[in-house]
Amino acid sequence: MSKHELAKIQAWMQHVIMHPGGVQAGIEADEAREQIDVAPEAVEQVIAPSSRQTSVERLAVYANAYQARLLECLRAEYPITLKAMGEELFDQFAIGYLERYPSQSYTLDHLGAQFATYLAETRPADDDADWAWLDFLVDLARLEWNIAEVFDGPGAEREPPLDTSQLLAIGPERWPEARLVAVPCLRVIRLDFPVHEYYRALRKADEATPPERGETWLAITRRNYVVRHLPLVPLEAALLDSILGGATVGDALDRMELPADLDPQAFAGTLRGWFERWSAEGFFLRVELPQ
Amino acid sequence: MHERPSRLGQPNLGLGVGLRSAHFSYILQQQPQVDWFEVISENFMNSGGRPRYVLDQIAERYPVVMHGVSLSIGSSDPLDFDYLARLKRLADAVGARWLSDHLCWTGVLGLNTHDLLPLPLNERSLRHVVERVRVVQEVLERPLVLENPSSYVTFADSTMPEWEFMARMANDADCGLLLDVNNVYVSSVNHEFDPVEYVNRLPHERVVQCHLAGHTDCGTHRIDTHDSEVIDPVWELYRRASRLSGGVSTLLEWDAKIPPFPVLHAEVLKARNYLGDAVAPTTRATPAAPIESQEAAVFHPLAHTVVEVTD
Repeated sequence: MSKHELAKIQAWMQHVIMHPGGVQAGIEADEAREQIDVAPEAVEQVIAPSSRQTSVERLAVYANAYQARLLECLRAEYPITLKAMGEELFDQFAIGYLERYPSQSYTLDHLGAQFATYLAETRPADDDADWAWLDFLVDLARLEWNIAEVFDGPGAEREPPLDTSQLLAIGPERWPEARLVAVPCLRVIRLDFPVHEYYRALRKADEATPPERGETWLAITRRNYVVRHLPLVPLEAALLDSILGGATVGDALDRMELPADLDPQAFAGTLRGWFERWSAEGFFLRVELPQ
Repeated sequence: MHERPSRLGQPNLGLGVGLRSAHFSYILQQQPQVDWFEVISENFMNSGGRPRYVLDQIAERYPVVMHGVSLSIGSSDPLDFDYLARLKRLADAVGARWLSDHLCWTGVLGLNTHDLLPLPLNERSLRHVVERVRVVQEVLERPLVLENPSSYVTFADSTMPEWEFMARMANDADCGLLLDVNNVYVSSVNHEFDPVEYVNRLPHERVVQCHLAGHTDCGTHRIDTHDSEVIDPVWELYRRASRLSGGVSTLLEWDAKIPPFPVLHAEVLKARNYLGDAVAPTTRATPAAPIESQEAAVFHPLAHTVVEVTD
């Protein structure tokens, strides 16, 4: 007759092998003792030893593998952030991250989803010091995660995008009520640093100069299964973001905070340029106009 | 008495390899003469990008089998029905010949360790697993095939050998078995049991598939690293398993230090030397010397999505 309920054994073993302080500390921790109250020297009552390994050594195989596996996975999910930080610092953050945000998903593809958030949470509140390097790393991690999500998320490779001539065929009087349906892989993100240039440089080289702080807007999308990122000017980003949110072109334009001294004619030309560029980049699938 | 068909009625697909992203381009361009591919279900279940596109192309040309790592059939947490629905959708879409996972648990309390953790092998856990396999098979509307994992601990609460647990589970739940002969070997060294008895005592008509892989000798124990050639004692277990089962679909797993595709393919083709009455090959893989540190040893399929970005 088995002594322990399955749920208790499993919760105990999970606490023990996931404990950041190692198996011994895991067995002694309150969370484990609440499940099975056993001291490290008596752990044979739960885990049988072999002739070559003690019970603690055997559990350590799982504990070592847990950390090694998930570290390897995070390194693969954030190759550029890893290069920027260096292995030692990256691993320190990654270990802390796995402790605060252990995986709750059936897929390893979600493992690093909160990594940028975690990096931001570790930023000391002391505003007198210069934390620009850490803020920069948060942005870099955010960019990498967005790129990874766009790479394997839904896309539009099997549908032809709207081309520029179709867009320009819409009569000027109908533009305000037009609703542009974007490809599902398109997103707009705002960053505090132009990390995309650094990202691009570090993909090709081992070192790059980190950029100065500077508000940055990027459109991230995918064509033919390859991710593309395009810098946007702030007004362009605001308009595209509203359109992505489902607004008609008229409503999206109304929401823009335009400078008072804007030359309407010049702005009309700028707008046309943006729409041409967006359609050339395959941002849209179709235009919807009310009947 | 009605005799159960071999392999639970599933075909013998021949000698296949595990699909890994490192080989996507090679396979699409060269279309190698491979009998079949096994894919890690979780790498494709949510994919809307290139991995899924590649899988669709491959499924058009080759038989595909889905192998999961997160079913967690032995967990005391409730079954994840959203996961099962996604699994079924993918299986239907790519025409998976069957679905497999492991006799293990991967996490409890809502967490996933992404490891294939062993169960205490006793009547209570057997009942638990059998009940869950039945539910899963009902949801998936097809038989589930479960693999014996490599393991590194045994429980004081265990009351039966793993082969007995596997055999009774398969018979009681009416499911298939994926016999990983490398895992049998690795566990037999770690837990000091006879691997030949293990292979002999399984219900052979329920073995739908075999797995082959390389592993790492850490001195005091072996770790299932999937990073090298198959060693001789494992090939000998394979010879026995194929004879007893009448020949089953066989697949080579290689998940770390992945060699070029032709090397991988050549490794699984060595299995021909162990089928039927074939004589063993003259050149054999030499087991590597034990490694001092277990730091680098990460076991079981660990495949990531490799992102492609324009420069």
